Amino acid sequence: MSEPKRLHPVSVVFSIIQTIRKSIFSFLPIIILALGNGEWLYIAIGAVIFAAIIIIVSILSWFRYTYQLEEDQIRIEQGILVRKKRTISKHRIQSIDLTQNIIHRIFGLTKVQIETAGSDHKIDASLHAVTMEEGKIVHDQLKYNKKIISQDMDTEEEESQTVTEKVYPYEKISPKALFIAGSTSGGFGIILGLFGLAFSELETFIPDHLYTQASDWIFSQALQVLIILAVITLIILWGLGILATIIQHWDFTITRYEKELFITRGLLEKKQSTIPLKRIQAVGMKESIIRQPLGYATMYVEIASGEIGQNAETHTLLYPLIKKNQAREFLAKLLPEYEYTQEKWTKLPKRALPYYLLRNTIFPLLATIAVFIFFREWIIVPLAAVVLAGILGYFQYKTIGYRLEGENLLIRNRLLGRDTVLVKHKRLQSFQKKQHILHKKQHLATLDTAILSKFVGRHLVIRELELKDLDTIADWYSYRD
Amino acid sequence: MREQPSERIAGDAIKAWQLTAHLVALIPLVLGIAAIIASNYFDFISYWIGIGLLIFTVIEWIITAFVIPNLRWKRWRYQIYDQEIYIQHGIIIVTRTVVPMIRVQHVDTEQGPILKKYRLSTLQISTAATKHEIPALLEEEAANLRDQISELARVEQDDV
Repeated sequence: MSEPKRLHPVSVVFSIIQTIRKSIFSFLPIIILALGNGEWLYIAIGAVIFAAIIIIVSILSWFRYTYQLEEDQIRIEQGILVRKKRTISKHRIQSIDLTQNIIHRIFGLTKVQIETAGSDHKIDASLHAVTMEEGKIVHDQLKYNKKIISQDMDTEEEESQTVTEKVYPYEKISPKALFIAGSTSGGFGIILGLFGLAFSELETFIPDHLYTQASDWIFSQALQVLIILAVITLIILWGLGILATIIQHWDFTITRYEKELFITRGLLEKKQSTIPLKRIQAVGMKESIIRQPLGYATMYVEIASGEIGQNAETHTLLYPLIKKNQAREFLAKLLPEYEYTQEKWTKLPKRALPYYLLRNTIFPLLATIAVFIFFREWIIVPLAAVVLAGILGYFQYKTIGYRLEGENLLIRNRLLGRDTVLVKHKRLQSFQKKQHILHKKQHLATLDTAILSKFVGRHLVIRELELKDLDTIADWYSYRD
Repeated sequence: MREQPSERIAGDAIKAWQLTAHLVALIPLVLGIAAIIASNYFDFISYWIGIGLLIFTVIEWIITAFVIPNLRWKRWRYQIYDQEIYIQHGIIIVTRTVVPMIRVQHVDTEQGPILKKYRLSTLQISTAATKHEIPALLEEEAANLRDQISELARVEQDDV
């Protein structure tokens, strides 16, 4: 269809940077040793040779890397000495994403990432730098004449395939919402900081009676300066947090196509990502303790695979900030498969409360006893921890609940922030009911069910559920008639 | 999930677990004896260490070899339906597990030297996210179950 093409020459720069970044740590010890001996000349020579090798290898590998678009596949050939030829069939391609970092944007280039359905990520390919138009051609070529292959994919949505020029539902974040997202994101750290501040301020009043007037004046003076510095630092950190969120999620747009969700975001680095609907295992809504009172939440999905190891987050962000009462509309618009009603949650029975209080306070209580024995004057600290843990336990008990709606199971849980998970019957991998002797007497039981999330299991657990309720869910889950 | 599963695991499971417990108990026993002998030669090793270890050995041995295997065997039950696998286990916390056939990704049987002695083997059932076990089934039974489950699980699966 077309002759083999090379990447844009700028990709040489990328591979040089990448190689240096990868190898710098293995050379560091040698460099430090040599520096200690003052052997500057050798280091300089070594560095020059090393740099020359990297540059030559990068240029050669750029020269030997070609890609070729064919009827319904892409063919990639690479390798300087060992030639590796790879053909990726269009049928197997799950997503093609165009991503640009700053260097890409200066030269009007883009990176093309091709992901396949397999769980082996070595199969995936990426063209590190091609011109923007070329990237779009590759994308459209491999993506948009899929009609021939639709029979081996989902059959349910086939009829909508015929309309290609249709306007797809999308949602775009406003700068204001982004600002709120940023200012409430690192929230817990900030509150902790504020607590620390209030505490240190109290401290300044205590030594007033203990020290002489003069030294006290100097001391409090210094402390005030310290406090001002601390406040400034906090504000700067906070501001940086907001800035980071804004840069990362600028123009966050999520669009729903027939079989996938498509996300674009970023101010400096423009990122695209595609979430095939088939890979979605569950949809969740997280409300951190800062956002919950303000009525805001974050939407996320659990997907079966993904860029493992690339980001530490366990789930994939669907939308950075949403008003809680709009979450339902959001799902109805973009993921109607996961639409839910606003029925009442089935909560835990009163008998469950003692378990929650005890589970949370047991360790602080033990600590209190230890402190009471050894450092009686500090007793207030563990006692406060006991009270806080007890309050948390109570709120956990109040939050936890479930709902059954058709083939959807909704579970609401709380570790610190409130987390609502919406999962389909067919995505639950197994179902467990756990009881010990006390549970049995009180007709309580613990539910434990697992979904797949990035190659590992995520367990959804409801502790001390009413036995009858658990059996209802078990009957709903069971495939037996 | 209201009724417990119907099938029990092989009766020889108790013997196999007891044998394992005897072997495990040898470790602190040997250590305890070694500590007592060593305390004769070195002043800084108190003979109480050895005695403590021996007491611990005896208690551990009685519990793991004579109390737990029976209780564990009594609790262990399973049942294979056409649509799902139903397992019950656990001495203090009783866990009942349902694994739907269409979620099963693969089934294995496993046999260590102790299980081999009693002609038993363990059945392992894996889903995409979890792993489940039925320990100590009779060899033929485990093999049959493995084939039966993999037959039943051979339904068309959509993405995980």
